[in-house]
Amino acid sequence: MNIVDFLKNSANKYPKKIALISENNSYTFSELWKLVQSFSLPLELINQENVISLISENSASFVIAYLGIMNLGKTVHLVSPEISEMNLTNQITSSNSSMIISSDTVFNKISKFNSIKIPIFHLTDIPKNSNSFSSKSNEIAYLIYTSGTTSEPKGVGINHSIVEFATKNIVQILNYSNSDIDILPLPLHHSFGLGCLHVSLFVGSTLILLKNSSDLQNILDTIKKYNATTLAAVPATLLKFLKFNENNLKDYFSNVRLVITNTTKISINTIENFKKIISHGNLATYYGLTEASRSSFMIFDEHTSFDQSVGKPAPHVNIKIDNQMSKSKIGEILIKGNNVIEKYWKNIESDKNIIDGWLRTGDLGYFDDHGYLYLVGRFDDVINIGGEKVMPDEIEEIVKQIDGVENVAAFGIDHEIFGQVIKLHVVKSENSNLEKLSIIKFCMKNLEKYKIPSKIDFVTNIPQTDYGKVKRFMLK
Amino acid sequence: MSVDIETMVKNIFFEVFPNLSESDFSWDKEQKNYEHWDSFSQLNLITLTEAKFDISFSFDESINIQSASDLLKNIKSHLS
Repeated sequence: MNIVDFLKNSANKYPKKIALISENNSYTFSELWKLVQSFSLPLELINQENVISLISENSASFVIAYLGIMNLGKTVHLVSPEISEMNLTNQITSSNSSMIISSDTVFNKISKFNSIKIPIFHLTDIPKNSNSFSSKSNEIAYLIYTSGTTSEPKGVGINHSIVEFATKNIVQILNYSNSDIDILPLPLHHSFGLGCLHVSLFVGSTLILLKNSSDLQNILDTIKKYNATTLAAVPATLLKFLKFNENNLKDYFSNVRLVITNTTKISINTIENFKKIISHGNLATYYGLTEASRSSFMIFDEHTSFDQSVGKPAPHVNIKIDNQMSKSKIGEILIKGNNVIEKYWKNIESDKNIIDGWLRTGDLGYFDDHGYLYLVGRFDDVINIGGEKVMPDEIEEIVKQIDGVENVAAFGIDHEIFGQVIKLHVVKSENSNLEKLSIIKFCMKNLEKYKIPSKIDFVTNIPQTDYGKVKRFMLK
Repeated sequence: MSVDIETMVKNIFFEVFPNLSESDFSWDKEQKNYEHWDSFSQLNLITLTEAKFDISFSFDESINIQSASDLLKNIKSHLS
């Protein structure tokens, strides 16, 4: 079954049911299927690689183009609307894309990129084909360049079979059904948001697409207006929700049965407070990479013992820890299963991270005695101070407790004696008078002495991925 | 002013060595006579001093500080 079949099957089962709502426009499954079938491309411009780049904010047109390109047997190269000229140029070269399909707002930006030599089409100007195509199954459904936290982006091509496998796992574990009304404020050019779209198409639920996750009141109003049953949001969004009145939040979430988030670190406070808000539902998270989608799931319940875990491996997914190099139970997480890519997109060097089907994730973690997986940080992020290993996340968690700290990133810098010492980049809150000395003193009270940062710079921003993960390689 | 700096340096020692009492403190007491003055404590002494006085020690200065007196002398040379 390919991704387009998800829609086709639901259109057959529920033709008059609302499939998609975006910017107050709604589309039944039957209408959406017809629009996808009539999506057409100037085929004479497409090279043998069969890759088409799609750059757009969340919209119904995005969904139609995404499915329409696949329905023509092509691979969709998904690109963030925020992409720089250099990155886009590199991705176009690497993917050998034939053309770019762009939303109007992005078109104005990228049409000025002199280094882009392939045709750029407006998303809304794509010609409609009156003849219906029969669905073709291109092996690679979509291509995403990962926004790496420790290295430059790598192309990850995802097969239809991987999507089918991951989608069925999500549906089974999180009990999605056609009675769900799903709110999606996450970008569709990322695998988290895309996975939510696949689920809605697969089960025949109604998906309400929002352009961004920063308008919290709009998300809440949309939940209420449509009596939504599920919400997908990153932990940072959940944390911001907690600044609202708790009773009001409980009212907004009274019909929500599931809030799904992803593996960016979630604080215990966020988890515990959200459990109270969705008292009739569950907060859940997953661990996965673009290369190994939804590898483990965690549904937070009344038991708090495992709240820092990312759960247990998904069905038919194997996860193991490579801790041969250390004496502790912590080691690099390796994943094997039908959700794991066989190889990267034209990247022999990165392919070395996949051995006998096992993907070396670069993430550090461990299993507890109950089989729950815990993330510790990134393998490449470990700071080695005279032989003492320090995870930057631990330092950051402590420093974030200081009044006046809005954001912080910890990383290692070279040192003549210790090999490395810890440096902090700190973003101060507005009007904060915070001084370096206060940070050091706080760390001395709350951390072991080898974990005390040696250098601190106050900065205006910290480079992060779309999902709030610090891009440490850009700090070093 | 000099007294103030001395008080500040003493406080740095009390912060880096929480078990150090007033009676145990001596300006000329050397690193080898401190129970907990290892290389990490040395690093923290330098870090805290640099932040407190807004100065930056060279590598040689950092490794040659062996007593409170040495630290005070180096601070004064940066402030003069």
